[in-house]
Amino acid sequence: MAKKNFSNTYIFIYSAVLVVVAALILTVVSVSLKPAQEKNQRAETKQMILKTIGIEATRDNADELYAQHITEADGHYTFDGGIILPLKGTGLWGPIWGYLALDNTSTVVGAVFDHKGETPGLGGEIATDKFAQRFIGKKMDTQAIHLKKNADKSNPYEVDAISGGTMTSNGVTAMLAKAYEDYKQIPDNPEIPEERKEATE
Amino acid sequence: MKNTDLIKLPFSKNNPILVQVLGVCSCLAVTAQLKPAVVMAISVTVVVMLSNLIISLMRNTIPPRIRIIVQLVVVSTLVVLVDQVLKAYMYDVSKQLSVFVGLIITNCIVMGRLEAFAMVQKPWPSLLDGLGNGLGYSVILITLGFVRELFGSGTLWGYPVMEKLGLYSIGYENNGLMIMPPMALILVGLIIWWHRSRNKDLCEQ
Repeated sequence: MAKKNFSNTYIFIYSAVLVVVAALILTVVSVSLKPAQEKNQRAETKQMILKTIGIEATRDNADELYAQHITEADGHYTFDGGIILPLKGTGLWGPIWGYLALDNTSTVVGAVFDHKGETPGLGGEIATDKFAQRFIGKKMDTQAIHLKKNADKSNPYEVDAISGGTMTSNGVTAMLAKAYEDYKQIPDNPEIPEERKEATE
Repeated sequence: MKNTDLIKLPFSKNNPILVQVLGVCSCLAVTAQLKPAVVMAISVTVVVMLSNLIISLMRNTIPPRIRIIVQLVVVSTLVVLVDQVLKAYMYDVSKQLSVFVGLIITNCIVMGRLEAFAMVQKPWPSLLDGLGNGLGYSVILITLGFVRELFGSGTLWGYPVMEKLGLYSIGYENNGLMIMPPMALILVGLIIWWHRSRNKDLCEQ
């Protein structure tokens, strides 16, 4: 290809037009698709919360099932038999989040995690059922659950961390610790002694 | 170059990973398991085809001095666009893909093929070149994903192969090193070694 000579003016105009066109396309697409995307995301959040109490909802019936089973409280959710704590934190590359369902004895009955951009196959493994299953039966009563390499499976506060996903695992530990602090503040937390509960009411 | 060669050569003699040594970073990151490897392979193939086509159509208007920036804008617009559409209409697929978006945009194969091929070739051969290189990349990625998941986690596509074969009960253990990125590099090295020994003409003097 014979290389043409491009003037500076041409280069300036070319790059300006290119960037404006690209920005325009992306803006139009983003704005016009936003309602559909947000609907999907809301439904997904509800699906995740339902999953912690063992209800597999599809995106279509999530709204209905959510209304039946879940009550939203201040900063957490309640279901028949316990509390669902929202978890928020950061992994290696971006935000990670999840929900933890606790029964009246502060025992985990269900957990679910998700992430924005953890490495697939490593930190990204937190989004799998296999990882979430490890939390069932663990306790959040006198201390928070933490992730550990080669965790002792019988210890109710230890959960096996992810091989090759140490930074993400640390993020999960941090967000569990934060959720534990919030959990202690919840007035109807069964672990709070009766007298203090009365004081808060 | 004949059109059939554009598809055929990247499989072996001009493989993007083995010979051009492009796209190695993503190849280390996503091959700990088979499923993400396959998703990444398909995504990169589609993106490299489309971006090759678009850049080839634009090639005569692009000033050489800013060509890399132009390529980058085209590739990232394309990838973000696809991601947005998937998020709205195929949410489950987008869940699988969204983590790959950053990896695809920065994939050296995409930029490499744009620079080496699409900038100077007509649209149709460029599209085929994209397809060929995408497939050549896929072969290596899927091979690595297969080996690493099988020996690292004892599963394939999440199915517990080793457990079903009853190997754990006779003392078999998963190789933890297989999960780590360095092992992918070692495996790629071994494949390159094997590949060069079969193709002496590729060996440097």
